[in-house]
Amino acid sequence: MGGISDALTQSLYDAGLDESIEIEILPGDFESGARRSEFTSALDAGRASPDIFMMDSGWTIPFIARGQLVNLSDELSSETLDYVQNDYLPSAVNTASDPQSGDLFGLPLFPDYPVMHYRRDLVEDAGYDPEGENWATEPMSWQEFAEMAADVWEQNGGPGGDFDYGFTTQGDNYVGLACCTFNETMTSFGGAYFGDHENLFGPIGDRPITVNEEPVHDTIRMMRSFMEGPDAEYAHPDFPQISTTDLLSFTEEPSREPFTSGNAIFHRNWPYAIPLNLDSEEFSAEDYDVMPLPYGIEAGEGEYEGTGGAAAALGGWHLTINPNTPRLDDCVQVLEAFANEEVMTTNFAEGGYLPPDPSVTESVDPDDVGALGDFLDTLAVAGQNTVPRPVTVAWPDQSPQVASEVSAAYQGEKSPEQAMSDLESSLGSIESDLAE
Amino acid sequence: MSTDTRADRGGSLLARPLNWLETQSEEVYAYVLLAPAFLLLALVAFYPLIETFRFSLLADAVASADPFGEFIGLDNYVDLLTGDTTFTQQFISVSTTDSFPFVGFDAPFLQQALFVTLAFAILSVLFETLIGFGQALVLDQDFYGRRWVRVSIIIPWAIPIVIQGMIFFLLFNPTIGFGTEFMQWLGVFGDNPLSSSTDSFMIVLVADIWKTTAFMALLILAGLQSIDRGLYDVAKVSGASPWQRFRYITLPLVAPALLVAMLFRTMDAMRIYGLIDATAGCETVPSLTCLVIIALQNSRRWATASAVAFLTAIVISGFVVVYLLALRGNDGGVA
Repeated sequence: MGGISDALTQSLYDAGLDESIEIEILPGDFESGARRSEFTSALDAGRASPDIFMMDSGWTIPFIARGQLVNLSDELSSETLDYVQNDYLPSAVNTASDPQSGDLFGLPLFPDYPVMHYRRDLVEDAGYDPEGENWATEPMSWQEFAEMAADVWEQNGGPGGDFDYGFTTQGDNYVGLACCTFNETMTSFGGAYFGDHENLFGPIGDRPITVNEEPVHDTIRMMRSFMEGPDAEYAHPDFPQISTTDLLSFTEEPSREPFTSGNAIFHRNWPYAIPLNLDSEEFSAEDYDVMPLPYGIEAGEGEYEGTGGAAAALGGWHLTINPNTPRLDDCVQVLEAFANEEVMTTNFAEGGYLPPDPSVTESVDPDDVGALGDFLDTLAVAGQNTVPRPVTVAWPDQSPQVASEVSAAYQGEKSPEQAMSDLESSLGSIESDLAE
Repeated sequence: MSTDTRADRGGSLLARPLNWLETQSEEVYAYVLLAPAFLLLALVAFYPLIETFRFSLLADAVASADPFGEFIGLDNYVDLLTGDTTFTQQFISVSTTDSFPFVGFDAPFLQQALFVTLAFAILSVLFETLIGFGQALVLDQDFYGRRWVRVSIIIPWAIPIVIQGMIFFLLFNPTIGFGTEFMQWLGVFGDNPLSSSTDSFMIVLVADIWKTTAFMALLILAGLQSIDRGLYDVAKVSGASPWQRFRYITLPLVAPALLVAMLFRTMDAMRIYGLIDATAGCETVPSLTCLVIIALQNSRRWATASAVAFLTAIVISGFVVVYLLALRGNDGGVA
């Protein structure tokens, strides 16, 4: 958050932080995994610095489980605790709390959830009406989306035409597949890793493993159709081809690059891509828009609680306190100051970081928040249906298993049934290994 | 040498051991002089190795602040050698079967770190030695512009590993690179080489050969240049064919330099990590070092990571012993 540090620090003082407390924002690695390694070694070694960590919501819980963070339920004022528990995005708070005691160990700083970026000019030229059909706030089904995307792509020449891809997303064998792109799509079809969403954060070893089921197989088949067409092996006959097998090697940036450079029509990514796409030299800002991700089945129709609907994977970051710090009181004051609507607005306007309190997103003046101002309605909808990854101390071992089996199935090396059955057994053996 | 009167008079703490030393054989004298170096080596090389071994005998504790659990003996090694770890990539995972060839792979061959590393080390060192030898023979000749050819051969060696990795990563990037189409035209690769273990293994192998052949060429060239040219003149006069000159003069005389060069390359190849990380990634081509990093940083399984690291050290030292045995018979050898 380097570039906005002055504005942010000032807003914290304005929010009542004692001005004698000096805040220094240290640079951290851009890549989440490298940041986790850094913090792991700092805390394992008992280092007192830094005082406050910015931790990924995807890996805060293992630190909580190891007792390596300050329990904020004991330290924060009851006002702040009430504000966080009642008004913050609940799924974000869950990933910052101890799954067993429910105590709060991290203060959500900003959540992150993906949206569908698309070329409105091409869609309108193809005869669709995003404005009239409320695309910005009313998610469509994957079926509707795929047929529409195939049509728009076809009208622009299809494969080998003006656009290399109708749709790009992330299909590489990497952490983002397990936590996010596969997780959200599977959830939107009614599938789940561990049954009902109340099982997301444990108890390890005492929850069902539900990956080898039809909604999950269908998710894989749909992605196979998107990449290789409905007639390919293990593909879903009802979905058209809207992309290519290049998806198999795409992480976030490689999948964004074709969209920003005018080579793709639809693109799934986090809000960080919005300002980058608005700056594209290939299309103007008016030709660009976002909408919530499509859904597989209607919300609540899934077999498991929490599944179905237009699910968006939950990313984002928390502030946590180093238990070895000699300045605990100061740290607590800083966190208190962050739980403030003005500070959130500053963070949103200056850095594009979404407020952890969704009501701030809804009430903010669009003119105050720059590039993101035009898309507040879509972001508010996406934020209402987020699905966190099932992060426990077992997840660092389970996430690569998910990514590699799903990737093998996407590539067609294994049938969806075979891959998910293999995944079921490896997830099971990790569960029993680490059973609580 | 007789004891001299000045030392007697001094009778100092320093003089006595020095006098004793002078009565010893040259061999003892050499060991005494080498002792400080051995001490330093023990400190920087053996202490970490022993600590790593000690860590590897403890249990992983992923759910507590202390990363190490209770003493569990060789259990971590048993898990690794039976393919029973929680990683998607195994150290080794084979089982016996009833029919020929009586062993089968439980995990795909290229998802087993030991095999990936061995295959990589053997193939890369083989090709680097052959191509490097060829380049060295060419460079050993006198011809116009030799200096420029030498420079051009050494250039890949000067490229940092991550840049080299990025070159090959971008070559096979689906949106920018032309490598995939070219290789498909040749009928070798699939649609997404960087997601396929076989194709990625080839990419990493070729990238390494492209870069490190220059290193082999230079070391072999140094060996070639130390050969007395007069020997070739004698051979020519005696009517030896070019093959005979190579077989009976060049090869035996360059062998010590060649073996030392191969030893260095093999040790390097067994530790391969950076190139993989910058191209296909450890998920696709898991080497032994990759497995250490995965265990340490992704899973926070310090004890398992220590066990993999220790096993890696054993495998590498096995190779080193083979080379040292081969070098033993040579006058110019290192053993």
